[in-house]
Amino acid sequence: MIASVVDTGALLEVIWVSIAAGIGLTAIYGMAIVGASRAVDSGRRGHTGGAVFYGALGLVALAVVVAATVFGIETLSDK
Amino acid sequence: MEGDLIVVIVVATALAFDFTNGFHDTANVVATSISTRAMSPRIAVGYAAILNFAGAFLSLAVAATIANDVVDPAAVSLLAVFGGLVGAITWNLITWYFGLPSSSSHALIGGMVGAVLVAEGPSAVSFDEGILGKVMIPAVVAPILAFLVAGASILVLYKIVGRLRPRPVTVGFRAGQVLSGGLLALAHGTNDAQKTMGVITLALVANGTISQSDFYVPDWVVVSAASAIALGTYAGGWRIIKTMGSRIHKMDTAQGFAAQGAGAVVILAASKVGFPLSTTHTISGAVIGSGAAKRLSAVRWGVAGNIILAWVMTLPAAACIGALTYSVTRIFGTGAAGPMVVCALILAGTALLFVRRAQQRGIASVGDAAEVTG
Repeated sequence: MIASVVDTGALLEVIWVSIAAGIGLTAIYGMAIVGASRAVDSGRRGHTGGAVFYGALGLVALAVVVAATVFGIETLSDK
Repeated sequence: MEGDLIVVIVVATALAFDFTNGFHDTANVVATSISTRAMSPRIAVGYAAILNFAGAFLSLAVAATIANDVVDPAAVSLLAVFGGLVGAITWNLITWYFGLPSSSSHALIGGMVGAVLVAEGPSAVSFDEGILGKVMIPAVVAPILAFLVAGASILVLYKIVGRLRPRPVTVGFRAGQVLSGGLLALAHGTNDAQKTMGVITLALVANGTISQSDFYVPDWVVVSAASAIALGTYAGGWRIIKTMGSRIHKMDTAQGFAAQGAGAVVILAASKVGFPLSTTHTISGAVIGSGAAKRLSAVRWGVAGNIILAWVMTLPAAACIGALTYSVTRIFGTGAAGPMVVCALILAGTALLFVRRAQQRGIASVGDAAEVTG
C-alpha cells in the first residue's frame, strides 16, 4: 500500500545521495585535516618529503569536498 | 476588488509565516556552530540569513508540491488558505513561547489540511499521494536517515582523525563548520522558503490570478519569500538555539560538522525531488545521531523526547487551529472582514506573548542581580 502512494524512486534517491554525500564528504574532509596536520608536523621535524605528501593529500581532499559541494548545488539548481 | 484585498491579506500573512519560519527554524541551523564555538552567535545568524536568502532561489520543486499535490488547488478558497496560514503561525508562536523546536513545515501543511477539510471536505485533500506519500513518509525517513548518516559519519571521522593532536582537529572542524553550517542554511532556505512560495501561488490560483493549467511561481513571490525568511532568520530565536545546541548533548567540533553535513545533504537531496521536509526534524535527528554514535548516555533523551512529542503534536494541533480559524472567518461571511478580524487578534496575541516574555526576562534579571548582590 505504501509503495503505491510514495515515489519510491525519489525516496531511494534521497537515501543513497544522503549516505554517499554525507558519509563520503565528511570522511574526505577528515582526510584534509589529517593531511594538513601531518604536513605541519612533518615540516617541523624537517621531513620535507612527508610535508609535501601530506600537504598535497590535504589540498586534494579539500578540493574534492569543495568541487562536490559546488556540483551538488549546481545539480539542485537545475529547474 | 474584495478578492484582491483578501489576496493581499493572504500574501502578507504568508510572508509573516515565512518570517516566523526563519525566526523559529533557523536557530536550529546555527545552534551547532554556536555550541561548538565555530562562530559567534551574531555572525552565525547573519551568515545563515544571507544563505537562507540565496537558497530560496535554487529550486522550485517543493513549491510545486505544496501548490499542487497536498490539496486540490481547483477546490481551495482564499479563506481556507488564510485559515491554514494562521494555524501554522499560531502553532509556531506557541512552540516558540515554550521553547519547543516543532516543525514550521508540518505546521503549515497541518494548518492547510485542517482549514481545507472544514472548508471543502475530504475530497479536496490528497491524503494518499500528497499527505502520506510526499509529507508523512519523508517526514519519518528524513530524521532517521540524518540520524544514521551523522552517526556513521562521526564514527568514520573519529577513525580518521583519532590519532591526531586535538588542537588541529578542533581548528580544522571549526573551519569545516563554516562550510557545513552554510550548506545547512542554504538547504533550509531552499526547502522552507519554497513552502511559502507554494502557498502564495496556491492563493493566486484560488483567486484566478494564475491558471491552474499554467502553473508557475512568479519572480516577485520568490524574491519576497526569500527576503521574509532571511529577515526572520536574522531576527533570531535565541531560546531555541539553547535547546538545540547544548541541551540535547554537548558537542565537539567534529560532531557539529558531521551533524550539519548530514542534515544539509538530506534536506538538499529531498528538495531536489520536491519533498517538503522539516529542517528541524532533520537537524535534530542528525544532532542526536552524532551524539548517540559517540556515547548513548551523552544524549539527554528527556529533551529529545520533548522534541519528538512536539513533532507528533504539530500536524493535528496546527490542523485544529487552521480549521478553527477558517470557521471564525466564515462567521463574517466570505469577504475580507473575517481575515482582518483574525489578523487583529493574532497581532494582539503576539504582542501579549512578547510582553510576557519580556516580563519573564525582567524578573529573571532581577533574580540574578539579587543573587549576585545578596
